Amino acid sequence: MTGVVTLLRLARLFARRAGGDATTLALPAVAFAVVTLCTTVVAGGVFAFFTFGGENGGVYRMLALLALVLLIVPLASLGGAAARLSARRRDERLSSLRLMGASTGLVSALTVLESTAVALAGAVAGSLLSLAALPLFGLLRFDGAAIGAAIWPPVWVYFAVIGAVVVLSAVSAALGLRAVVITPLGVRTRVVHAGARGIRAVIAAAVLVAAVVVMNTLTSLGGIVVIVGAVLACFGGVLAVLGVVGPVVLRAYGRRWLRRAGTPARLISARGVLDDPKAAWRQVGSVAMVCFVGVFAGIGVAITQTVGGGQDAAARILAQDIRTGVVLTLVMSFAMVACAVGVNQAAAVLDRRALYVSLDRIGMPAAVMDAARRRAVLAPLLVVTIGSACTAAIILFPLTGMALLLQPLALAIIAGCLALGIGLVWLGLLATRAVLNSVLAAGVVEQ
Amino acid sequence: MQILIEARSLFKDFGPTHALRGVDLVIGAGESLAIMGPSGSGKTTLLHSLAGIETPDAGQVLLRQDDRATDIAALSDRARSALRRTAFGFVFQQGLLLPELTVVENVALPLLLLGRPRAEAEAEASRLLGLLGIGDRADARLGQLSGGQQQRVAIARAQAAAPAIVFADEPTGALDSATSAEVMTALLDSTVGAGRALVVVTHDAGVAGRCSRTLHMRDGVIVETMVRA
Repeated sequence: MTGVVTLLRLARLFARRAGGDATTLALPAVAFAVVTLCTTVVAGGVFAFFTFGGENGGVYRMLALLALVLLIVPLASLGGAAARLSARRRDERLSSLRLMGASTGLVSALTVLESTAVALAGAVAGSLLSLAALPLFGLLRFDGAAIGAAIWPPVWVYFAVIGAVVVLSAVSAALGLRAVVITPLGVRTRVVHAGARGIRAVIAAAVLVAAVVVMNTLTSLGGIVVIVGAVLACFGGVLAVLGVVGPVVLRAYGRRWLRRAGTPARLISARGVLDDPKAAWRQVGSVAMVCFVGVFAGIGVAITQTVGGGQDAAARILAQDIRTGVVLTLVMSFAMVACAVGVNQAAAVLDRRALYVSLDRIGMPAAVMDAARRRAVLAPLLVVTIGSACTAAIILFPLTGMALLLQPLALAIIAGCLALGIGLVWLGLLATRAVLNSVLAAGVVEQ
Repeated sequence: MQILIEARSLFKDFGPTHALRGVDLVIGAGESLAIMGPSGSGKTTLLHSLAGIETPDAGQVLLRQDDRATDIAALSDRARSALRRTAFGFVFQQGLLLPELTVVENVALPLLLLGRPRAEAEAEASRLLGLLGIGDRADARLGQLSGGQQQRVAIARAQAAAPAIVFADEPTGALDSATSAEVMTALLDSTVGAGRALVVVTHDAGVAGRCSRTLHMRDGVIVETMVRA
């Protein structure tokens, strides 16, 4: 009982203290709100497709599930970023509590309580926002008519999404706590990050080879269910490979950038990537997923156009709907990635505000600080974008070749996706320049 | 004594608070000046005004270099930023170095900002680190250094562009007394010992006692000046 009272008192104290730095709570809450909004809209779309009847009803349901699978990756990535952000921004206070002798249980409970409270607030806000956004998506035309009221998911979906976001936050906070609980000093003093392990690259290569083999023997696998399952398994495997190989590749590129760095911005950005390639990957890794999705989308459009070439009116409508669905899926994916980068960067600026102010004091122009931040994101982004697009093209090579020959538009869509993705992330970074400017304008070196 | 910087009748308010109320001050080459006073007395505002970080509401801050006097308070933000790169060095309480850079890269940073080639900048940085007794830690990361060593790195960074004046805001505030004395020796040797001026804001009488002059401030004015032989 005493423990619970202590916990609640500390939670109340921390909440009050955080009031002085509203961004500590606001940023993760906004991130959770965006996650909830996107998830609810996606769920609404899936449910809407499941209401379609007629001869193509089954196809619509399959497409809805495919879009869901594609969107889960950037959604999970954004959700993870929000959860990590929520946990990270209270690391220092929790480490201090540990150093003062607080029990492991108390620190754990406090962290989970705080994280879930912030996640709950953000998720509720996101649900309310979705009430405003869903009617707009209802205007989209599918199966020959506007989606309309079918876009509204059942009430239980709202609660399920809010619950999932809260659980995600709690689990992430608890996992992130291990560093604080086990090595409290490790958080207060900067730890040297373990490098990405080479052995993982070997395993990743094996998975990649297996995926290529499976994709090249699809037709011999049997029924449609097995083929769809194999495609999804390959898809998941490649995404996992990207997550493992990404930091290794970024570390290799970081070393190259470092050797060539001749300006402060290049030096700082290269060192930033090398300092923690996994973190650099987490910032832009979602773009790799989007690029991978883009290749799938390109193939999808190629198939759509082939289907649309027929004389049947229903087939033409279906082709148009697939094209719309592909664009919608990609735009939502890019939007999630841009949001994640924006939130991460804003948090990074706030976390390092004393350092940025000190750099301003020694005469470093804000443009140089901004260039260093921008390069630290965009340089890995370019590597990831090109690398993952090429990886996906290799995996899907037989289908990619068909698309290249039969429907060059598919490749144009892929190129457009890459440009749009980079542009959106650049915009996300640009938005955080205001945070840097406000930090420099406040000009208080907190010591 | 060659005058480096001169403050004339500085006034600065933050809302209803009068941070500076008619402060006059002259600092010469080779001089070490400690500014003491209770919290809110205006000592940090004075340091920031001298260094071109804050712009006083009234008064002048004249930097005298190459037979020219430049009114820092009248310069644009960009010009003051450029001046801080070339004419001033800074040491902060917590070092505030870039944790992702190595020691030598941190020290070379001001030279890179001035457009010097990286190899040349790092060579000069290595030389400065050697003078401060931490030349063997050039390739280390900040997390591998003690607090005192990190402050030496900060001192080396402040010297990199060969500034006329080094401003230090509680440079030993986070250190134990023995390390504090060592860091202060390093700071004095590398500034005053090289003919530069050193301006230190401190609460530590021991630190102030090692400077050639100490100002005591209260309520935005200098209430006492103590000069040591």
